[in-house]
Amino acid sequence: MRHGLDLRIGPVAFRIGSAWPGPLDALAKLYAGYPTPEDGLCDFTVRLEPGKPWRRFVRPSVAIRGDYVLPDAVPMVLAHGLLAAEMGMNLQMALGQKSYLLLHAATVEKDGRALLMTGESGAGKSTLAALLGERGWRLLGDEFALLDLVSGALHPFPRAVSLKNGAIAVLEAEVEAARFGPRLEGTPKGAIRHLRPNADALARMDEPARPALILFPRFGAAAAVRGVGQAEVFVRLTQASTNYVALGRRGFDGLTGLVRKVPALAIDYPDAETAIGLVEDFRRELAA
Amino acid sequence: MAGARYIADPESAVAQVALDGLSVLFHAPSGTTHVLAAPAPEILGVLREGPADAAELLRRLRARFELGSEAGEEAIRARLDELETAGLVRRA
Amino acid sequence: MNGGSDEEGTGGSGREPAGGGFAPSRRAVLVIGAAAASTVITVRPALAQTAGSVLNCEIPIPQPAAGGSYIAPDGTLVAPGTQGAAPPLGRPLRGEEVKALLRSGTVPAGVDPTSAQAYAHYIRRLQAGMSGFTCYASLQMPR
Repeated sequence: MRHGLDLRIGPVAFRIGSAWPGPLDALAKLYAGYPTPEDGLCDFTVRLEPGKPWRRFVRPSVAIRGDYVLPDAVPMVLAHGLLAAEMGMNLQMALGQKSYLLLHAATVEKDGRALLMTGESGAGKSTLAALLGERGWRLLGDEFALLDLVSGALHPFPRAVSLKNGAIAVLEAEVEAARFGPRLEGTPKGAIRHLRPNADALARMDEPARPALILFPRFGAAAAVRGVGQAEVFVRLTQASTNYVALGRRGFDGLTGLVRKVPALAIDYPDAETAIGLVEDFRRELAA
Repeated sequence: MAGARYIADPESAVAQVALDGLSVLFHAPSGTTHVLAAPAPEILGVLREGPADAAELLRRLRARFELGSEAGEEAIRARLDELETAGLVRRA
Repeated sequence: MNGGSDEEGTGGSGREPAGGGFAPSRRAVLVIGAAAASTVITVRPALAQTAGSVLNCEIPIPQPAAGGSYIAPDGTLVAPGTQGAAPPLGRPLRGEEVKALLRSGTVPAGVDPTSAQAYAHYIRRLQAGMSGFTCYASLQMPR
């Protein structure tokens, strides 16, 4: 491939190749300060290629390819090349990760206790995690939680946070411009802007954390908190995992271990500040 | 006349964990995970003692547990159907 | 808050082991329940919601290999022009549209409402190897 970039994010190393320089320039800028893979060894490859040969030049469109592909994926316009690279990395993790149990969740940590937030897309997990990351919590990741199948710890995987639509302005008000990627309009999910985690999150990306609370946040209703039974948590987490089935017995042991040791709550919240208040309440209770 | 007899895989073929009143079970031969509510795990447990039909299973359960007077073979057969569909038991 | 439990073994009834040679002083109660109850749920994860942030996908209705077949109300393919069947859709449906259609019956833009159900059933019948199947699987629709 004409252009390439190697990136290490937590325990996972990616090689991203591209037929065009633009997406990789944007990616390198967004991931400024991230380590390069040791000895140049990469776990996964992502390739941004023209959907058809002439699409390299004529109305350029980016097909997401790599070690793992999804055949029905629709190519994206070159202007969204950065997004295509991010989606490509997600795809490799979703289909290829075998060393950790992957959960679709946002994870933050404070005082050695990690909070795992999971649930439907659009529930605001990424936004909450990003905000907590600016309020004294360490962001481990907003897309994937990596559960160590032996130790039960969560490994950081601090990709750039994917902020959508209204959430973009919320974080722009709190974070300096240099940590943002370009604002992308007209994506399948609306407007998207990526946010690099702060220096603390990057410096400590090799430091795992012990899960202390599982949270199922739901946006929209008046503040409410309820407990969630372990069997329900277990089933919901299998639905939030892309590799639970592939991991077989190890996945079962890892997930039952997590569910038996870590309490779970479902919260409804009308706005981010309320949710953050609830999270701080839980943190104080756990510390007591 | 005796009904259909069933067999369950031995304990070594499954991993089972209690989660607040339910059982989650990993069935190694198929790689599938199931969530079981009473009396399904208990039926599996007594079925492991040896192949049996619904009447025999009811007898084994009565020996181990306090069953209500309404407990009948029809319910046991329904549970066996479910367990068979899930691949956790098969006909002898 | 719920605490984690350390119990191993079968769930629900909790019993004491029967000693050899003497009857236990108390046996645990086991409720057999009604025949109509459901006590076994098999966990079937799909490609999982992460794929939603992975992939912008489309489902053609029907797949190109169907060659102009119409779609019967139950989602099966029938000869073009069959009475009561829906014509092929002029454009593929996007993942988000399919999700809304299958979840809450929302008719996609520009789609004839009387055909929408047939299209929904067609999608639900997609098998591995058919165009659009991985998109459908990635939407994490329970089967």
